[in-house]
Amino acid sequence: MANLILKGNTSGQVTIQAPDEAGTTTLTLPTTNSTLATQNSLGVRNLIINGDMRIDQRNAGSAVTANGNFPVDRFQIFNSTDGAFSAQQDSSAPTGFVNSLKFTTTTADGTLTTTQATQFQQRIEGFNFANLGWGTASAKTVTISFWVRSSLTGTFGGSLRNNAQDRSYPFTYVISVADTWEYKTVTVAGDTSGTWLTNNSVGCRLTFGLGGGPDVSGTASAWAGANYSNTTGAVSVIGTLNATWYITGVQLEVGDTATPFEHRPYDMELARCMRYFQIVPIAGTAHNSSELCVTGTFRVDMRDTPSINSTVSNRPGYYNGSLNTLFNVGYGNAGVGNAYFAAGVVDKQGFGQMYVTSGLTGGRLYAGGAIMSAEL
Amino acid sequence: MITYKKVNDPYGNFVGLFKNNEWFIPIAEGNTDYQEYLEWVAEGNTPEEAE
Repeated sequence: MANLILKGNTSGQVTIQAPDEAGTTTLTLPTTNSTLATQNSLGVRNLIINGDMRIDQRNAGSAVTANGNFPVDRFQIFNSTDGAFSAQQDSSAPTGFVNSLKFTTTTADGTLTTTQATQFQQRIEGFNFANLGWGTASAKTVTISFWVRSSLTGTFGGSLRNNAQDRSYPFTYVISVADTWEYKTVTVAGDTSGTWLTNNSVGCRLTFGLGGGPDVSGTASAWAGANYSNTTGAVSVIGTLNATWYITGVQLEVGDTATPFEHRPYDMELARCMRYFQIVPIAGTAHNSSELCVTGTFRVDMRDTPSINSTVSNRPGYYNGSLNTLFNVGYGNAGVGNAYFAAGVVDKQGFGQMYVTSGLTGGRLYAGGAIMSAEL
Repeated sequence: MITYKKVNDPYGNFVGLFKNNEWFIPIAEGNTDYQEYLEWVAEGNTPEEAE
């Protein structure tokens, strides 16, 4: 065992101790004028939520196929091409991970025009991005790292964009071997121009391009005053029938060096997802045929007043506007329709009243649940 | 094809919109669904009136 000791001018010392085992451990110091301790937070440094694709509150692993769907929490797929896709949580993953996101092209569109694009994206909330100082002279450098595999090889694209989508930085990464997990890193000097929101709106969009027309594809590795979701000439996954693309371990952190993926506790990550999406229980007594007196607190404060979905099916006790499954305690499923909350009594913290079009019986106890979405 | 329908509470107050009969959208500026609704209106579209 060998020690390297650095002594201070007056007192104190730092000891770097090499392990008494074969092999090499490398301590990489930042190349910028900074220190490890100040350049990169040692905890909760990954600005991406659910980067390991573990949490899927909406689908429980089932596939989604529609534009705008979330195949796993916090990650959304946009598709404006003539192609079609299937996307879902998958068990294929590199060592150290359990899940990934799998994208499959089910109808190919080999010729993308103008703004047609397929994107896999996470929108980072401004509150969590504010300390990066983007849009100012002191904008911090960030590094994106991730594991990816595809049935296709070549140069793939992606981008970072602001909320207004008038600032973008297309980036590239290369997949060398088909159907093999590869680790990629991309370092981006922070944008000193443009407006980057620092509130509960979109602070930054991290996008992985799966195909992009000429108007949404730009020159790699340069900031542009344009809305580029992809890089010119990048591989188009949506352009090849049955092509697959997997990703996991997505991390975006301050600094010019990628650190190992930050595996956060499941409960912590789930709570962070719930700021944007959660299912809450409901129980209350009917005031009359269309008013249910309930109060509830969200399990986590939501980003903003949420939208409320009422189409949960196959879940006893959960109301459903179409299938009438608000549970009437002691009487079975209630014959009610179009349940909704009054906007005046639902906000970021909770709710206080539910209205339905009809079907309740005054004085009876009802129970159910509601899906809340306050996504960016 | 996106559809919106206004929603009134039992007392006749306008409280939000149904989107595609799947989502209740509150009148909240920070809600991205409501922001999309405003863009939809700005494009010249009109929601269905409440029942």
